[in-house]
Amino acid sequence: MNSAVFEVSKFARLAVTWVCIIFGAVWLACWLVGVFIPALITQAAASSTAGQYWAEICRALVPLVAVAVFIPINAMFMVLAERRALALFTVRKGPNRVGPDGLLQTAADAVKLLFKEDITPRGADALMFTLAPIIFFAPSIIAVIPLLAAVSGNHPLFGIANIPTGIFYVLAVSSIPVVGIVMGSWASNNKYSLVGGLRSAAQAISYEIPLVLAIVTVCLMAGTLDVVQIADMQKGPFWNWFLFGNGALAHVKDGPVAAVAAILLLLCCLLLFLIYITGACAEVNRIPFDLPEAESELVSGYNTEYSGIKFAIFFLAEFTNLFVVCTIAAVMFLGGGHSPFGSHVETGFINWLGAQLQSLPGSAQVLSPAWLVNSLVDPSTLSQAIWIILKVYTLVVFAILVRATLPRFRIDQLMDFGWKRLIPLALILLVAVTFLRELL
Amino acid sequence: MSTETTSLPATGRLKTDEMIINMGPQHPATHGVLRLLVTLDGEFVKHVEPVIGHLHRAQEWQGQNRTWFQYQALIDRVDYLSGMFTSWALCRAAEKIDGTEIPLRAEYMRVMVAEMNRITSHLLWLGTYLIDLGAMFGFPFYPFREREKLLDLLEAISGQRMMFNYIRIGGVQAEAPPGWFARLKAFTEEFPQRVDEYEAIVTQNPIFLKRTKGVGILKKQVAMDYGVTGPSLRASGVPFDLRKVKPYSVYDRLNFEVPVFDGDGDTWDRYMCRIREMRQSNEIIKQCMEQIPGGSSDELREKRKACNSCDKADCPNCGGDLRIMTKKQNAGLRIKAGEGFAAVESPRGTLGCYIISTGGDTAYRIKWRNPSFSNLAVLPVLLLDHPIADIMAIFGSIDVILPDVDR
Amino acid sequence: MLGLVGQAVEGIYQVCRGLWTVFKHSGRPPTTKEYPDIMPDLPGRFRGRLALAVHPETGEHLCISCRQCERVCPDKCIEITAHKSPETNKLELIEFKIDHGLCMFCGLCTEVCPTSCIINTNDFEMSDYSREALIYDLRRLTLSKEESVHYFSKKELTPPKPKPKPAAKPAAAGAAAPARPAPAARAEEGEAAKPAAAKAPPEKKEQAQPAGEAARPSEAKAPPEKKEEKAPPAGEAAAPAGGQDAPGDKQDKPKPEAGGTQ
Ligand code: SF4
Ligand code: SF4
Repeated sequence: MNSAVFEVSKFARLAVTWVCIIFGAVWLACWLVGVFIPALITQAAASSTAGQYWAEICRALVPLVAVAVFIPINAMFMVLAERRALALFTVRKGPNRVGPDGLLQTAADAVKLLFKEDITPRGADALMFTLAPIIFFAPSIIAVIPLLAAVSGNHPLFGIANIPTGIFYVLAVSSIPVVGIVMGSWASNNKYSLVGGLRSAAQAISYEIPLVLAIVTVCLMAGTLDVVQIADMQKGPFWNWFLFGNGALAHVKDGPVAAVAAILLLLCCLLLFLIYITGACAEVNRIPFDLPEAESELVSGYNTEYSGIKFAIFFLAEFTNLFVVCTIAAVMFLGGGHSPFGSHVETGFINWLGAQLQSLPGSAQVLSPAWLVNSLVDPSTLSQAIWIILKVYTLVVFAILVRATLPRFRIDQLMDFGWKRLIPLALILLVAVTFLRELL
Repeated sequence: MSTETTSLPATGRLKTDEMIINMGPQHPATHGVLRLLVTLDGEFVKHVEPVIGHLHRAQEWQGQNRTWFQYQALIDRVDYLSGMFTSWALCRAAEKIDGTEIPLRAEYMRVMVAEMNRITSHLLWLGTYLIDLGAMFGFPFYPFREREKLLDLLEAISGQRMMFNYIRIGGVQAEAPPGWFARLKAFTEEFPQRVDEYEAIVTQNPIFLKRTKGVGILKKQVAMDYGVTGPSLRASGVPFDLRKVKPYSVYDRLNFEVPVFDGDGDTWDRYMCRIREMRQSNEIIKQCMEQIPGGSSDELREKRKACNSCDKADCPNCGGDLRIMTKKQNAGLRIKAGEGFAAVESPRGTLGCYIISTGGDTAYRIKWRNPSFSNLAVLPVLLLDHPIADIMAIFGSIDVILPDVDR
Repeated sequence: MLGLVGQAVEGIYQVCRGLWTVFKHSGRPPTTKEYPDIMPDLPGRFRGRLALAVHPETGEHLCISCRQCERVCPDKCIEITAHKSPETNKLELIEFKIDHGLCMFCGLCTEVCPTSCIINTNDFEMSDYSREALIYDLRRLTLSKEESVHYFSKKELTPPKPKPKPAAKPAAAGAAAPARPAPAARAEEGEAAKPAAAKAPPEKKEQAQPAGEAARPSEAKAPPEKKEEKAPPAGEAAAPAGGQDAPGDKQDKPKPEAGGTQ
């Protein structure tokens, strides 16, 4: 028993270390680009408009910098976490050789992949073959940008990334990767790859519909497409989340009709979440929907012929996509960066930390040590970040658990399930939610 | 391969050009070196031609060129997942010709190790089958964990994990090492719970049901026509298990049942059949440990030390039923002239061995009847009109092992 | 419709049951065997690298050059060179080679050996850079006294009685257990005639050997050192005094040379 607890604690340690590394790096990078360098510029070129101009440009770059720093490190961590978590679920130890406790395993893997020979098979369409991983990867960078505003509580630095039709944009962009898959599979000049790619296209098209319908229903309840607003609507205790009907339960005591409606709404929302999760699994090609790379049938599907850095990019993108869909779920259903226990604790912590920071001597003076600390530590963003990290990675671990358990569908069953079960259900829920909202 | 007819085929699907694809011999899911030439109509299989022989090692010929003593060691390699059974079939055939009486303790030891081997074989099948179905990362480790424990036990008693060379003409090679029975007992106590766990994860899983229910239906009559044996046959509803219908060794003294399914004989039935067989084998091992003459403790060992394992027929410690070997083997082992056939129920079906001996130290002729070979023959029928994604699900479910096919 | 709902609920329930069962496993101790760090505790009967045991007390070779093992080996990977010593008229072992690249570890040779000389050790780490390096000669095959004791006890073999050569001991040994030495002696006598007839091959073989020997003078030295690292658990288990494997190994080295020059 002891050694089991030991393994779990090792996994926890690894996760905490990596999360600290990831978000420390992102935080620092954002601060450097968004606060420190503009401050330096304005200090140097005190009142010239050019200086202001450059400082603004710097600030505007923050979301991009955050994403650029975040994605590679995060993918590395997720690969490692996946392997370790799978090991935990299958009573093994997992990678534990490179670095302390296997911490650096994926870093080493990444280096290895970068140095591997990059092979373009004979008969392949070289241009398409090269372009495919890029097209596969790029959307996952672009897609997360509006989410940044939501997860950081509309922080001024990320505000620029917030667009009023945020979730619409995210969904639109995140359906691009399938183009990359089809391109890559076609360009590989391999039957197995091609079948994998076509399957992927069919699957993405079918499962995007229930996924989008689920999101649309949430937007319907929220009455907006703006992710920041949607996240803010779920403020307060966890029954305000869209997962639990956005406060529907509060109406239970409003009379029998409202009570029934509230409970039904709650049920609908839970189902919506399930639909979303299913669709998301299919969208990012994870078990039980990993048909595009079904090993026992298609060798490795669309990435059979890829090696070296191109394969690494596919790999990176796959995990980033997983992260993106989990983040969407966290923002849309799980209350974004808000604490599940109401806001008192949070507010108390934020106020206390803010007061501590304010009381540092000379904190108003730009570039003084106190100012540095003060500008670096942002209490409200910190608390938001902690909650969103917890929520998103819990979902990620759940996805890993699913991966450890389920076998995969057959392609026709997959289509059946998507078109004959999920889509009708999603439509029914959409209508049901509309009416149930009225009854409350 | 395209034909002139443009009308809809009987199945009602649109007729498309047929495509031939080649699966294997190097394919991650063919369990060895099987090559399947699959003719597809769209996604659906029209014709399958298994191409075998990539692993042919002339095991029958070897029997004519190796002494009996040497051949015993080689024959484990025919079906490497259940080496005990191949040795057992060989030994039974040879003993039949020779008229050797096997001491009772040796018989029980044989049954025990063979059933252990059956469990390991089914466990490996379970893990790899789930891999075939795509549960690639989690579940397959569980059966392998239990299999590892059994292999450790088999290693302790025989010296190797897979090429046991343990069952010998005239008995078994050695007495169990100290503490072996206790470890086996602990395993048998724990194992049913582990099987419960597998079942909790797999048996009723909706995706698993979808992949297996009604897929690869093997009708009773077809199965019998093709000479399918083993769990695949019993899943089709034929209660044919050599251990029951023609009890050999001490199986008639053991109380166990052979799972037979009345259903369609689909993939799920074959899965269930193996799961239940594992439970039954576990029961058999338990009963063997109770019934084995000399007991399943280390007591006998200690006693034997006293008389220095004299192996005299009338010794109360190591004679009669308590012996593990009729007479000590040596390199010049000879089998009387004669012919004989003996079969055992291996995890894959009826494994038979036919021997012609001329009294020398090598066989005149040996012929094996390997269950995998006959079971593989039915694959083209099973796969007909199934989508390509089911090829591996069905092929996996009949549990063919390629060295057993090719010999 | 209701059926569908029922199906869905059942399906979700079963999936959750599976997920929960898998999740429960995270609280169990791992089954991983950390092999290079922790050497597996292999059972005594494990059929690993072949080796020639020596007499636990005198350190003499137990092999009587009866060639039983050579004859029984299905892969024909044992090669024995022996000659009849002019003084004692007994067979003397000159060279003993086992090609571990051919060996399939069936253990038949160890079963037929009348003196329990050739044994399967528990060592399985034999990987090497060339096929020639897998052909072990007498020097690399011979175990030290400690190792022999260890394997004799682990494999539950009856420790051998000293060979009847030194004249003083055999009487006592024979008195203690008259049954044992008899078969060995018989085998010795029985075989004595045959190897005399087969004397021509040894010379041929000896001519062939130097080439192989010269090809790897350095490699031949490496394995004993490797063995030294792996020996400690074995040595400690056999002789509780511990830490005595170093002297054992020193004894190991000069001995084969002495055997060769005799
Ligand atoms: S173990 Fe078998 S193959 Fe190896 S040398 Fe001995 S008899 Fe030959
Ligand atoms: S059987 Fe034993 S004694 Fe005879 S030659 Fe081989 S090792 Fe030496």
